[in-house]
Amino acid sequence: MKRYKRLFINGMSLILLSLLFVACSDDSSSGSNEDTIKLGVLEDRSGDFALVGIQKSHAVELAVEEINENGGLLGKQIEIIAPDTQSDDKRFQEMARKLILEDEVDVIMGAFSSASREAIRPIMEQNKMLYFYNNQYEGGVASKYTFPTGAVPEHQVMTVMEYMIDNYGSNIYTIAADYNFGQITADWVRVAAEDLGGEIVGEEFIPLGESQFNSSINKIQKAKPDFLVVLLTGEKQSSFYEQWNTSGIKDLPMATTINMAQQYEHIRTEAPALANMHVAAPFMEELDTPEAEAFVEKFREKFPDDDYVGMEAEAQYTGVYLWAKAVEQAGTTDVDAVIEELESGLSYDAPSGTVSIDPKSHHAIKDIYLFHADDEHNVSNIFKWEQVEPYWLHEEKGIDLTKDSPNEQYTPID
Amino acid sequence: MDSFSFLILAAIGLAIIFGMMGVINLAHGEFIMLGAYITTLLSLAGVPIPLAIMLGALGVGCFGFIVDKLIIRHLYGRPLDSVVATWGISLIMGQGMLIIMGPSLQGLSTPLGSFTVGDINYSTYRLVLGIIACLLLVILYWVFMHTKFGLRSRATMQNEEIARSLGTNTSRMYTSTFVIGSMFAGLTGGLYSFTMSIGPTFGSGFLMESFVTVIVGGANPLIGTVMAGGTLGVVHSGLSYVFGTFIGRVGLLVAAILFIRLWPTGFSGLIEKKLIRVKRYNG
Amino acid sequence: MLKNMNAEKSIMMLLCITLLIFPLIGSAYDVLNMSYFLSTVFLSISLWLIWGLTGIFSFGQTAFFGVGGYAYAMISMNFDNPNMTILALILAMVIAWGLAFLLGYFMFYGGVNDVFVGLITLCVTLVMATFLAQSAGSQWKIGDVLLGGDNGINNIPPIAFKLGSIELSLYGNSLYYFIIITMIIIYLLFKKMQIGKLGYSFIAVRENRERSQLLGYNIPFLQTLAFSFGGMLAAFSGVLYVTWGGYIAPSAMDISAAALPVVLVAAAGRKNISAVMIFTVLYYFLSQKLSVSGSEYALVILGVILILVILVVPQGIVVTLFNFFDRIFFKKRRRNVNGTTTDSKQAGNF
Repeated sequence: MKRYKRLFINGMSLILLSLLFVACSDDSSSGSNEDTIKLGVLEDRSGDFALVGIQKSHAVELAVEEINENGGLLGKQIEIIAPDTQSDDKRFQEMARKLILEDEVDVIMGAFSSASREAIRPIMEQNKMLYFYNNQYEGGVASKYTFPTGAVPEHQVMTVMEYMIDNYGSNIYTIAADYNFGQITADWVRVAAEDLGGEIVGEEFIPLGESQFNSSINKIQKAKPDFLVVLLTGEKQSSFYEQWNTSGIKDLPMATTINMAQQYEHIRTEAPALANMHVAAPFMEELDTPEAEAFVEKFREKFPDDDYVGMEAEAQYTGVYLWAKAVEQAGTTDVDAVIEELESGLSYDAPSGTVSIDPKSHHAIKDIYLFHADDEHNVSNIFKWEQVEPYWLHEEKGIDLTKDSPNEQYTPID
Repeated sequence: MDSFSFLILAAIGLAIIFGMMGVINLAHGEFIMLGAYITTLLSLAGVPIPLAIMLGALGVGCFGFIVDKLIIRHLYGRPLDSVVATWGISLIMGQGMLIIMGPSLQGLSTPLGSFTVGDINYSTYRLVLGIIACLLLVILYWVFMHTKFGLRSRATMQNEEIARSLGTNTSRMYTSTFVIGSMFAGLTGGLYSFTMSIGPTFGSGFLMESFVTVIVGGANPLIGTVMAGGTLGVVHSGLSYVFGTFIGRVGLLVAAILFIRLWPTGFSGLIEKKLIRVKRYNG
Repeated sequence: MLKNMNAEKSIMMLLCITLLIFPLIGSAYDVLNMSYFLSTVFLSISLWLIWGLTGIFSFGQTAFFGVGGYAYAMISMNFDNPNMTILALILAMVIAWGLAFLLGYFMFYGGVNDVFVGLITLCVTLVMATFLAQSAGSQWKIGDVLLGGDNGINNIPPIAFKLGSIELSLYGNSLYYFIIITMIIIYLLFKKMQIGKLGYSFIAVRENRERSQLLGYNIPFLQTLAFSFGGMLAAFSGVLYVTWGGYIAPSAMDISAAALPVVLVAAAGRKNISAVMIFTVLYYFLSQKLSVSGSEYALVILGVILILVILVVPQGIVVTLFNFFDRIFFKKRRRNVNGTTTDSKQAGNF
């Protein structure tokens, strides 16, 4: 009896090990098919950032499907190669190398968190790979091969602060996530407050992954600001709203650059937790322009199970089209030629309005809307800024990527 | 107070399982997450909130029973291997929930509204959480100190072999411990589901705090957890309020390190030593 | 010679040879990828040393991994001179060794043991990760190099030598050979140590602290010794990772990163160094392949495999295979040189 048991155990372990090898060896050798153009996508479809990562992967699929149905690009079909990066920065590095060296893709798009972007950006530079970061972020990346086409503080902070100070008063309290995005955006808030005559009456930074906000909320109540700037991020920090709702100041106006538009907190939390929230963003599902509505409809038709179509999905979709247009104009996928086209001030009529590339910073010029959520979390766009430019890198730091690239990320702090 | 109840509730399920079985349940966070999901889904379907929370706890208890029968049962007496197994369980549950339910779920408003002291609003629900935390401790105390089950489980905890030779079905004791631990995790999830946003990584917000509390508490799930929760709660909320959340979190961890260094067996070790000394004096 | 042959030895020799000629068969990408897998092996070895051999349950080897990576980045980028990278490597390891020694002294001479060591090391790791994540501002810098907060540090130079006209930068194949050769050396050293006096002292500490103490072993000293060298090895792993990717960020130290080595070493069979090494590479290989497939079931499959491994082959999968091959090819009943020991009660034996 014992003998059989041992035999069984050994047999099982052999099977397990061979399973491992089988899993490893079925290298369905990412078809060295020369007839397609390869688009590498690095998005988190599992782990902490899946909330946005899934939306963004779907946006790529939608854009590529449309392009392929309309005859493809340069007469070829686009093939998506999309490993799952699992919200893990190490995985981003492994997969970026794989896409470049093994799959030999023509362009890479993706990354949600700034840390993931910084993990792969040097790899892109080393290998001269064209890289689109179609995501809202803290701004300041100046790199020859990187095109951050999402919204940056020039788009979001300066605009929303202008509106808030004009309409609600000058005492500002900032609560932000304690890492690069939150800290740098909070610095922007400070800069904007100085420029526009506001005053920061309080500021607190919350470590990532913190979900209990009671002592912070008490502090905000004591400070009695005219409005609150919320720069919290991630699933756990979204808990702030629910806790604010029960013990915070009723109807205090709030402003943000990421919540609602990116992680749809107004859908995920029950009203009225985000009542009187303002966000300046290029796109939200609720945007009522015909282009936006058409985009949402297409998206919903292809992915009926998705909870929301947010600004990152739109940015990703637009990013694919910007690249496709540049390739079309260049007549090749050669990286330098495509960059030259992108730097010619290329523009595309995106769901959020016209988006063009600013040649000197590689960021995007886009329309920005101010969205407001009411007591029942009905979102409406109440204001519009036309064609906001990402001026900061060029004007303050003297960057001109058409001439020279420092390959660095600048911050307003230094 | 708030921090105290959070630490106690986060830790209690883990503490029971760790204290009784020596198993470090790395899937603890996912158990909490499951409880939150069940509770939220039920209340969205119209089940009254207290009942939904109860059912959430029961649901996770059942799940714990299945997990125990399928996996943990084979690992009794091998706490290290259970680290690996529970890590595997946590991977499966987290990703499974993402696949089944998608990356987010609509949360519910915190019930019971708020009250005002001076200038500041406090959530009534938070107060209720504190009361529930205390109540749970009382119930646990009663179960472990004044019932036959408690006696048997304490015996199993202290010396499994002798307990077994005296006629206690230790294997069943372990199963029921695991189920009770899971239920408490589910209860925690249900209770906090109304104050936090819900998604597949819901539980990881509890993980660090629960680990720290349990291990500072030491082997005795009851005394240890209470004392550790109390002390760490004071440290955490005090520091957070005065210096901000970052210092609060670091302070919590540093306090735990210093504490373990001074009393290497945790709070329960400290207390037991005191008790023994007192008994010696008396005897 | 042949008499002493067993499955473990022959497999390890076979693997060594395969790995040494690997750059001839694999593509440049394969080699680069393999260097990454192998660099993580050192982290597992470090945990084997302190946990598998000496019985100290540490949840915080990634702290030293991070210290190594950050220290190397700081030093090499401040000097900005290729020759200094060697110094940076050595200093990074020395710093990690020192920190581990201090922490070990703090714990073991204070009588902290078992799972409580796990807690302290975990707390240290989390404190470091939390601190580094918020260090984005310009006030946080060492020398000229910003700590970079959660975004981490970029463009860290590879290890390089420059002797007169000969210049060698460890990248691609050269990095691979550097890793594989140090790994073989370290492996052989540990194998030798294991059957020496020191090795047996460590095992004595693992098996029964009280008894060993009565027999005259200086337990806290031995524990601190093992712990500090474990920290150093973890730091070495960190440096290799950093030179491989040119990047380090606090997420390398968060709670799931900290748990992974523990899981790997436990699943492999923590007392056997060869098993730990093989399983680490296998795991990374598998999890990468699953990730490439882009399947949403990747993590579920990984979880199922881990559970099956632990249920079906409780001694650790690789150790069981060693035993299996031993019986088939070498007609041995059971290996017992610090491999799988007799199934003594493992309860509480952290």
